[in-house]
Amino acid sequence: MKSGNISAEDFIGKTMEQIQNVDDSLHAFLSINDKAIDQAREIDKKIKSGGKIGQCFGMPISIKDNICIKDTKTTCASKMLENFIAPYDATVITKLKQQDAIFVGKVNLDEFAMGLSTEFSAYGPSKNPWNTDYVPGGSSGGSAVSVSAFECVASLGSDTGGSVRNPASFCSTVGYKPTYGLISRYGLISYANSIEQIGPLTRTVEDAAFMLNLIAGIDPNDNTTVDNNNEDYLKDINSGIEGKKIGIIKEMIGEGIDPSVLSATKDAISKLEGLGATCEEVSLDMVKYSVAAYYIITATEAGSNLARYDNLRYGYDFSVEGYEFNSYIEKARKKLGPEVTRRMILGGFVPSAGHAGKYFLKALKVKSKLTRQINDAFKKFDLLISPTVPILPFKIGEKINDPVALFLIDINTVTANLTGKPAISIPYAISNGLPIGIQLIANSMNDKLLLQAAYALEKTVKLPEVPI
Amino acid sequence: MVSREEIEHVAKLMRIEIDDPTIYERVDKMIGYFDILDSAGVESEEISVREIQITNLREDKYIPFDEKLIEKLNSYKGTYVRAPKMV
Repeated sequence: MKSGNISAEDFIGKTMEQIQNVDDSLHAFLSINDKAIDQAREIDKKIKSGGKIGQCFGMPISIKDNICIKDTKTTCASKMLENFIAPYDATVITKLKQQDAIFVGKVNLDEFAMGLSTEFSAYGPSKNPWNTDYVPGGSSGGSAVSVSAFECVASLGSDTGGSVRNPASFCSTVGYKPTYGLISRYGLISYANSIEQIGPLTRTVEDAAFMLNLIAGIDPNDNTTVDNNNEDYLKDINSGIEGKKIGIIKEMIGEGIDPSVLSATKDAISKLEGLGATCEEVSLDMVKYSVAAYYIITATEAGSNLARYDNLRYGYDFSVEGYEFNSYIEKARKKLGPEVTRRMILGGFVPSAGHAGKYFLKALKVKSKLTRQINDAFKKFDLLISPTVPILPFKIGEKINDPVALFLIDINTVTANLTGKPAISIPYAISNGLPIGIQLIANSMNDKLLLQAAYALEKTVKLPEVPI
Repeated sequence: MVSREEIEHVAKLMRIEIDDPTIYERVDKMIGYFDILDSAGVESEEISVREIQITNLREDKYIPFDEKLIEKLNSYKGTYVRAPKMV
């Protein structure tokens, strides 16, 4: 578009055509931006007139529907927010608008980002483009599907326990969870503030670095953000990993791992060694307890965050007349789906008087010990490696009635969230037509090194095109 | 093991009406899984907290917002949100 080979209007037009062609069967999108073509024409005008143009040049981007775009529906895939119009832009949206990105639409997720398959969306599940009988992962499933199926160039998701990396792995895209605080959460509808982060899903590691360049950095509207000194994540991305030490997390390649996932992980380790890295096993024994700690902490924060959905400030579809306060709120909360309701009850139970010591405080202690263990590991290693998800994508409906089986799918991803470390899923292999991703984790604020290593690993494989 | 009464008590406190009978079993399974923490051996572990100096917080000042958010609600009177009766 910059060189004039294709206009923004043509590119966006083709993208919208692709959405029309494939999204009926994939259901990545919850809403489409009807003004996208007009916005592209405006960008073409700016290019032709030699006006100042942002780095995106009209690049089509999809946005997870829990990130606010002003004057646009933001549903969180919940009936509770079915008609909620965001009154302001999230900081990431402001930054992308300044760079002339075009938001082609809002994409599907598990309701309020609680899930890992998009089966808990109140608007129905998204389908995996590699095989539509299978889940695309989640909760940012719509983001991963839209990138994988060429319905956009990049997408923004949110990652609380693997919600960017898990669907990236299941749909063969890159998924990036930055260091906690690197990207502003202002305008991300809260689920578990202490560990969640916005992150990009892209087709290549370079694209992820490009997106990070645009959206990372300190934000006065989010006091948890950190100053990255305008780091350029694209610069020297091809530096390689010669001489780097990589720890193989023992607890993430053990019991329950699918043999094809284990084989792909071993292959990736060999490739990294071939590129000059040294790999050695490392034990983080708190990983065994990380999933329980993660669900306790997130449910507690969710119980608090979701208390605002009372049909008065959000929802507003039935009158207050004739109701007593408690029965009114009870009726309003019936609009929350079953998984959200369960997690709210959990969130009320685990920190409550008489139970907090057994659950919530213990979960915080596991988080502290896990953080200490991973910090110790980073004294010896530059990076850590594991499969992103220990199993292959599963069939829609296969695990929906087994909450503990669903919990355990998060075992390899929650550690990065609980400890605030950056982590990335790189598409690495296809087994029986289903994708496998490899996860690399780095120490806090070593996002640049992480992207360099991911780029090096990505270059060692050539994967087939998605069969759509 | 969490009893049906305990789940109902918490749900009531959270103003959630349970009309799905499967919720008891699923919540019990989830909480049962959390018992794994009993073997984590973290009793003596200190809980680490992230401290932010008050000087690092943004200035506590009024920031004007041009849009009238109250008008986006269905039920309001003047500058007040209308809520159901408490008693």
